[in-house]
Amino acid sequence: MRAMIVDDEPLARRELRRLLAEFAWIEIVGEAANVGEAAPLIDRLLPELLFLDIQMPGGTGFDLLERLEHLPRVVFTTAYDKHAVRAFEVNALDYLLKPIEPERLAAAVARAQAAAASAPAAVASSGTILERLFLRDGERCWFVPLREVKLFTAEGNYVRISWDKIHPLLGRPLSSLESRLDSKRFFRANRQQIINLEYIESVDLGVNGRLHVQLRGGPEVQVSRRQARLFRQLASV
Amino acid sequence: MPRIAVASLLLALPLGLVSPFTLISSLQSSESLIQEVAPRIQLHFGPFIRFVHQWANWATLFALWLVIYFVALSIRRRRDAELRQSELTRALQLAELRLLKSQLNPHFLFNSLNSVRALIADDPAGAQKAVTQLARTLRYTLSAGREELVPLARELEIVEDYLALESLRFGERLRVERDLAPEAMAVRVPVMLLQTVVENAIKHGIAELPAGGDLRIVAGLEGGTLHIDVENTRPQKTERVFRSEGEGVGLDNAAERLRLLFGAKANLHLDLSRVEVAVARIRIPETA
Repeated sequence: MRAMIVDDEPLARRELRRLLAEFAWIEIVGEAANVGEAAPLIDRLLPELLFLDIQMPGGTGFDLLERLEHLPRVVFTTAYDKHAVRAFEVNALDYLLKPIEPERLAAAVARAQAAAASAPAAVASSGTILERLFLRDGERCWFVPLREVKLFTAEGNYVRISWDKIHPLLGRPLSSLESRLDSKRFFRANRQQIINLEYIESVDLGVNGRLHVQLRGGPEVQVSRRQARLFRQLASV
Repeated sequence: MPRIAVASLLLALPLGLVSPFTLISSLQSSESLIQEVAPRIQLHFGPFIRFVHQWANWATLFALWLVIYFVALSIRRRRDAELRQSELTRALQLAELRLLKSQLNPHFLFNSLNSVRALIADDPAGAQKAVTQLARTLRYTLSAGREELVPLARELEIVEDYLALESLRFGERLRVERDLAPEAMAVRVPVMLLQTVVENAIKHGIAELPAGGDLRIVAGLEGGTLHIDVENTRPQKTERVFRSEGEGVGLDNAAERLRLLFGAKANLHLDLSRVEVAVARIRIPETA
C-alpha cells in the first residue's frame, strides 16, 4: 500500500517512518511539510493512505483535504487539538495522538488495509473518478461516499451537497466536479444541478418538453429540455 | 436553610400520620408487660388506668416519632454540609487544575515528547538532553505559583530550555537571535512572563510560517527601567491558520499580571504597526 506522510515537524515524520517500517506492505512514497507542498505531491503520487497532521503552517490538514483532487484514505495525527479530536470522535474518523502508540498505529493500518481490500479495485487504481469527498461544516467534518449524495446544487463558485440530512458546502465549482463524477450514476439535470439517478422516485412530464424528477425524500428537480432528451435515452437503456 | 426546614416539616406531616400505625407493632412488647401488672391495679382504678395507659402509649409514640424526625433531620443536615464541603474542595481543585493547564501548553508538551521519542533511536545523547530540558521547563512552570519574582537571568535559563525544545520541533524554521545586556540580568521580573511572551511569538509567528522566521530577544537597562523586546516575523494574512485566536490575546493575562504587580510603572505592549515584524515590548522598573 502506497502511503504518504504530511507533518511540518521533521522529527515527527522520521518517527512515523520508523514506526511504519514494521509494516512491510506499507511503502512510503513521499513526505511533505505543509499544505502547499503536499497538495501537488499527493495528486501526482496518488497514495492510497495518508498520515496527516492537523496544525501546520500555511493551512491545516483539513484545508489540504478540501483542495485535493485525489482523496486517499486518511489517518489524522495530532499532538493535542481539542477541537479536532472532538470532530474525530463525532464522526469516527481515524486518528492517532502523538507520541503515536505502536499498538494504535497497528490497528489503524489494519483498518486501512481492510478497507482497501473491500473496496473495488477501480477505486485504488484510477484517480479520475471520485469515490469520496471530504466535507466540512463548521466544527464537523466527514468523508462522504459519493454514491450516497442525492443532489449537487451550484451556488456561485461553490457546490451545495445534499447528503443524509446535512447540506454542507464544497469549495469548488460544479463544473470541476462534474467531470470527476461517475456518469453512470450522476446526471446533469440543468445548469445548476446534478442528480444521483439512484435517488429518483418518479418522473413527470412538464411543459415545453421539460421533465420533473422527484427525488426520494425531496426535493423536485427540473430537467431542462436539452437534458431531457439525454435523460430519456438513458432511462430507456 | 429555612427552605430545607419547611420542606422537612412538610415531609414530616404525612410521616407523622402514618408512623403511629406502623410503629404500633414494635410497641407490642411493652404493652404486654403492662398487661401483666394491669389486672391487679385495674380492680381499683380501671377506667383511669386505661386512659393513662392509652395516653402513655400515644405520648411514647409521639416522643419516638420526634426523636426519629430530629435524628433524620440532623443526619440529613450533616450530609448536606459534607456535600457542600466536598463540592467546595472540588471547585478549588478544578480551579487549581485550570491554572496548571493554562500554564502547561499541552500542544508543546506532547509535541516535545514526540520529538524525544524520535530522538531516542537516532540520537540518544540528544534525547537525554531534551528530557533534561523538558523536565526543567515543567518544574519551573509547576513552581511558578510559589515565587512571584525571579532575576531575569533565571527566567532566561528556562526560555533557553524552551527554545531548545522548540528548535527540535521546528528545525531550521526557527532562527533565534539574542541581544542581552549583562546589567539587565539581575533585575527581578514576574516569573513566567518572558516565557509567555516568547511562546506567544512562536505560536503566532514561526509556527504559522512554512519557511520559518526569526525570533529576536533584546534586553537592556535604561534609566532604572528594564526594557525587553521580543520580535518575531509575522505571517501574512493569507498564511494565518489559527483564525480564532488573535496575536495579542495570549498576552492579555501577562499584561494584567504586570499591572497588578507594579501598577502603572510597568507595562506590556504588543506593537503590530509593522507588517513584517511583531514586537512585544515589556517595561519593568528596576527597583522591584
